[in-house]
Parts: sequence; C-alpha cells; structure tokens
Amino acid sequence: MTAHTDPPNRASAHGDDERLPCGRLLSRAWEDREQRPDDTHPRSCPHCRDAVRELDRLESAVRGLRTEAADNPAYDAEPLTRRIMDVVRMELRPGRPLPLGEPAEDLWIMEAVAARTLRAAAETVTGVRAGSCRLLDAGPDGAAGAVGVRLDIHAPADAPLPELAAQVRERVWEAADHELGLVVAVVDIRVTDLVPAGTEHGQEGRTR
Amino acid sequence: MTFGTADTAGPAHAVLVEQAAAAAAGVGGVAFLRPGLADRLRSVRHRAANGTGGAPAPTPAPAGVRMTRPDADGPWHVEIHVVALRRARTVDVARAVRVAVARRLEALAPSQPAPRITVTVTGLV
Repeated sequence: MTAHTDPPNRASAHGDDERLPCGRLLSRAWEDREQRPDDTHPRSCPHCRDAVRELDRLESAVRGLRTEAADNPAYDAEPLTRRIMDVVRMELRPGRPLPLGEPAEDLWIMEAVAARTLRAAAETVTGVRAGSCRLLDAGPDGAAGAVGVRLDIHAPADAPLPELAAQVRERVWEAADHELGLVVAVVDIRVTDLVPAGTEHGQEGRTR
Repeated sequence: MTFGTADTAGPAHAVLVEQAAAAAAGVGGVAFLRPGLADRLRSVRHRAANGTGGAPAPTPAPAGVRMTRPDADGPWHVEIHVVALRRARTVDVARAVRVAVARRLEALAPSQPAPRITVTVTGLV
C-alpha cells in the first residue's frame, strides 16, 4: 500500500480529450454547443460540426431508450438519459484524482465525479442551487488525506442564511461520507446570489 | 492515455491484464471499466468509417487496466479505472475491486510479490 501523497498518473493535461484538426478540444466543441450558442466557430467549422453531430447522435440513441419502455407509460427515461450523457461529459473533463477512504488505501475518485455528487446533495436543500464546487487539499492543518470543499450556492432570498448554510454543509458532509467515502476536512459555503422565493423551479437533476 | 496497452511485452502480461479486468468488472457496484462510453462510441465510429471489409481488426486490449513492473523482479503496479454505480458507496466499490483483483492475481501467480493496486473511480452512473 502507498500513501495518498502519490496520486495516479494522468497521461496528459487533457486526459482522454481529443484535439480536433481545427485546434479545439472535443470537450470544448461539445460544451460550446450547449453553453455558447452565440459562438460562430462551431457553425462554420466542419470539424466542430462533425463532433457535435456525434454528440447529437448519441443523445438521440439514448433518448431512443424511451421507445423500449413504451409499454410502461410510467417509466421516465429522462433520468437515465441524463446520467449517460453526464458520464460522457465527465470522461472528457475529469479533473484531478482525490483520495477515497483512509490515507493509505490508494483509492481515488476524479474531482468532477465527486463534485457532482456534492452539488446534488446541496440542492436537496429546498430552494438552493449549487454553483461552482471546488475540492482542494485540506492543507497542513487538515486531516491526512482529507479534502476541503468550496461550494458556491444561490440561496432563496427569504431564507436565514446561517441556518441555510449549515443545512447545506450537513448535506454535503453526509453525501461525502455516506455516498462516496470521501474524507472531508472542511466545507466552505459561499452564497453568491439570492433568488426571489418561489422562482427556484426545476432543480431536481439539474446538477452537472 | 493508453490503458490496456501492454507496457511489458509477453503473453503472461496480457493474461494478467485480462484477468485483472475481468475480476474488476465482476465486482458488484462496478458499471464498467474505462475506456468508457465516449471511447466506445469513438471506436464504433472508427470501425464504421473504415468499413467492414478486409482483415478483421485485432482484439482490443481489456479496458481500464494498466499493469507495469518497473523492476523485473519487483511487484506489479496495477492501475484500474472504473465507473461505479451510484447506488453503492463508492469507496466500498473501490475496495472490493482492489480485493478482487488482488485475489485473482495471487491465484494466477502465487509466487509473485503482492502487487500494488491503485483504483480510480472515473464516473458514477
């Protein structure tokens, strides 16, 4: 066994990401398609268009699973679709490995995977929307192998913030321990925006 | 990343990689081993682009496992990348993978020094 001071190697800064002939990373082409509709490059570049078309095909294929469940009208394929697409995205933007379990176990989880679980946990608090979730080394004062969580949230405007932050912190801690087995030394919550009460719709499953 | 590629030549190494992958994939709570969905899609796309005629493609190396041995007489370093099921506690899945792989390798090569096994969870579904 080895200590967690020696994370597993990654082959390159971009992991398994693929650089398209136009110079853009595959992950960026996919991301721009979803988040930057005003960017003209993806529409004019044949390589980016091909890459996006592949993603569209995948999404269509996954959504086609609904057809298989047509005999059961109560079956909702949307969560499955979302999970599969999340895995594909996460494979391209994995972040860095973080220690799982005890310091000497040599078990790891990629940052993006852990962050998604913790953000989802934060959003189980009514009215809370999770933003950026960074997982950092706990530092010399933290427990060995533990990580620090720095989570941005949007909070309901009418909520008492100290109590809300404490509730979010508790949910994050529980998820890290019970769902992942990630040792967390500290959870810093930063309220970055206040959302008018009653406008926080469609939270469930929106975390990526 | 070249997971599944033999860093040490020889059938023994290929067998060990294959067996380690099988042991890891058989653990409850493991969805699949890397390369994952995107890589599989890319390989399907590649095959489709190259047509189905001609010589058959070589059998791909098992996904998600890399075995190296810096010292010929030393222990193997086994690196395993898995996508786990969300319903299971992630660290427990990773521990079970390590145990399963260690047992399988010990059964195959009982006289070898115990390998160092690194398990990385690269996704949850």
